Amino acid sequence: MFLVQGMSIPTLVSVLLSGLTLAALYFLVASGLTLIFGLMDVLNFAQGSLFMLGAYAGWVLYANPRLLLNLAPLLLLFGAGAFVGALAARRFALPRIGLWIAAGAAVVLTLFAVRDFPLAKLVAFGSSVTAQIISTPEAQDPFQTMLVRLALMFLAGCAVGLVVANRGDAARPFSASRVIVAAVGLAGVGLALFFFREPLEQFILELDSTLRFLLAVVTGAAAGGLLGALLESSLIRPLYARPIYQILLTLGLVFVFDQLIRLVWGPIGSVMQVPSFFSSSSSECPAPDLIAWLTLHCDSIQIFGRPFPSYRLFIILIGALMAVAIILIMQRTRLGMIIRAGVQDSPMVEALGINVRRVFTLVFALGAGLAGLGGVVAAPFLGVYPGMAQEFLLQAFIVVVIGGLGSIPGAVLGALLVGLARAFGDHLVLSGIQLPGMADAISGSPAIARASTVLIMAIVLLVKPTGIFGKKE
Amino acid sequence: MTNLLHVDSIHTFIGQFHILEGITLTIPQGSITALLGRNGAGKTTTLKSIIGLTPPRTGRVLYDGADLRGRRAFDIAALGIGFVPEYRAIFRDLSVEENLKIAERKKGDLARRADLIFTLFPDLKRLIKLPGGQLSGGQQQMLAIARALVPDNRLLLIDEPSEGLAPVIIEHMMEAIRQLSTHITVLLVEQNFRVASQLAERYYLIDDGHNVQNGMMSDLVQDRATLLITDHSPLEWRFSNRIAVSLSRSRLSCYL
Repeated sequence: MFLVQGMSIPTLVSVLLSGLTLAALYFLVASGLTLIFGLMDVLNFAQGSLFMLGAYAGWVLYANPRLLLNLAPLLLLFGAGAFVGALAARRFALPRIGLWIAAGAAVVLTLFAVRDFPLAKLVAFGSSVTAQIISTPEAQDPFQTMLVRLALMFLAGCAVGLVVANRGDAARPFSASRVIVAAVGLAGVGLALFFFREPLEQFILELDSTLRFLLAVVTGAAAGGLLGALLESSLIRPLYARPIYQILLTLGLVFVFDQLIRLVWGPIGSVMQVPSFFSSSSSECPAPDLIAWLTLHCDSIQIFGRPFPSYRLFIILIGALMAVAIILIMQRTRLGMIIRAGVQDSPMVEALGINVRRVFTLVFALGAGLAGLGGVVAAPFLGVYPGMAQEFLLQAFIVVVIGGLGSIPGAVLGALLVGLARAFGDHLVLSGIQLPGMADAISGSPAIARASTVLIMAIVLLVKPTGIFGKKE
Repeated sequence: MTNLLHVDSIHTFIGQFHILEGITLTIPQGSITALLGRNGAGKTTTLKSIIGLTPPRTGRVLYDGADLRGRRAFDIAALGIGFVPEYRAIFRDLSVEENLKIAERKKGDLARRADLIFTLFPDLKRLIKLPGGQLSGGQQQMLAIARALVPDNRLLLIDEPSEGLAPVIIEHMMEAIRQLSTHITVLLVEQNFRVASQLAERYYLIDDGHNVQNGMMSDLVQDRATLLITDHSPLEWRFSNRIAVSLSRSRLSCYL
């Protein structure tokens, strides 16, 4: 314990809190990873990418809603088209050549739909407005052009749906009414976002930054969840019998999403403003204690005489709340019961009359949503940048391996260990380690702190190869 | 007597292995039918093909007149078929109560059936809060059957209920199956001939994925007695339709 001896209590506490902040974020990524692996045996490498995409989605809504309001309708109408196409595919089977034509048409239609789409302008627009209202119609396509784009995207979606549904098992009975509801729903939301894009943008930008941030959190979580559900039902489901392909697929997705983000925003990250609830600065700041902070909303709070950023305390709170929520869901709800049973024996759960496939999609969406939520919550602290996917994926993997694949308490413990190791490692490396009997402190580069988490993983794996709470091999 | 289940020459593959090569069964409503055959004959696969866990590639399964082709297991189960697998498949991390509750198809199923379940298996009431993983083999078997009784099932597929259980527990379990068969049709896979012959009214004998023989259980018991008396080394058990079913010595002693 000589490591701690040299630290004063205020330093110790602030390093501890930094560690907890990281732990909260690691947990949000790792919990989804471990849930998905536990139930479906899928190692979802894309979990870090979902974290990143959630962060970007939330940040875009927060800083540049115009981009979102122009982009989202296109994607939603494409989705609606895909459902309609899938429905049409049931009515008439296309010959092979027809499928090729449809696939070609999908590509051509998509290309036409996005031709000269002012993406760069829309993206740049975000850096010029931050919380100030610009209602000029610059930097977005006029109404008619967008309407044409939307129609083309819808048709492209139809073609894709036709191809995909034709390729799949045609005998699978799926209810037509539900598909129609989904298609109409997507198209409705997409068109509503488009028709009201200007008032919506005004509304979002005029919101208080705290409310806007809450909206961003919901958006990030929803984006992650939707994307997760989509990934599971379209790409991962056909590969349940082929785990190696699954790993290749999710690993490939990491690179696809990484390049997608670089394509739109470039390799350089952006800063997300801390919402006003955690960033007001008055003469009384930093707040002397939590009670005073509740009225002052300072950017930092005095803890043992040392200021600590209040937003990071919020991250810790969110992490803790989510951990409690997941444990409650697992222990108290029917869904949790089904997940716990499915982890052990999903065919038997199916034989009891439970649609396990739907539960899989739900859990995948839940895990992805948690990662998306984590991304938005992390953004004001770390910013958004393309490398965040890989960084958090790696840490989340270490967390899950330490805690045991498939275990939520394991993810909590693993996240705490990794987060604290990072924080203490960083601190010790920078301030130097004073060993008794030595004149000079040993100091090193932050890379050593990063290595410390891998070291913990190696030790845990040597002592207990399944991880601390792990049961599965 | 109407037929609740009709299996019409189904062929089932597991991977590239052709396990069932045209099994046909007719299960009348309100009876216990035993599915007999040696290890690897395809008994378990037959049950799994009915419930949809290993869907047959060709042939038909008709349940209550409805064709089950293309339906997934959860959908088939929801028609009122309960499955009690050989390995019991008790959820270890769930309490006994949760193991029962998870089988609910409508809210309150368990409350409705609690009386029946705890009359048949009074032990479960005492164990209700215990994790399924801590139950003994016999208790797990009781729980597996009880779980299939929670929803409104009309047909139970029970696989090897006596396997690995002490004789006194087998007696208890047989009594329970006999009682529940008064309102639920049962298709029973059983290696223990004494259990099968005492419970079932009718039997189907299958081997290597083919039907061998079927009929009334009482006839089979008589046939077998004659065979055992006339043939002093009965390693081959011949039936009138000339298909031989080899039985190992140990299996046969268990049948006696």
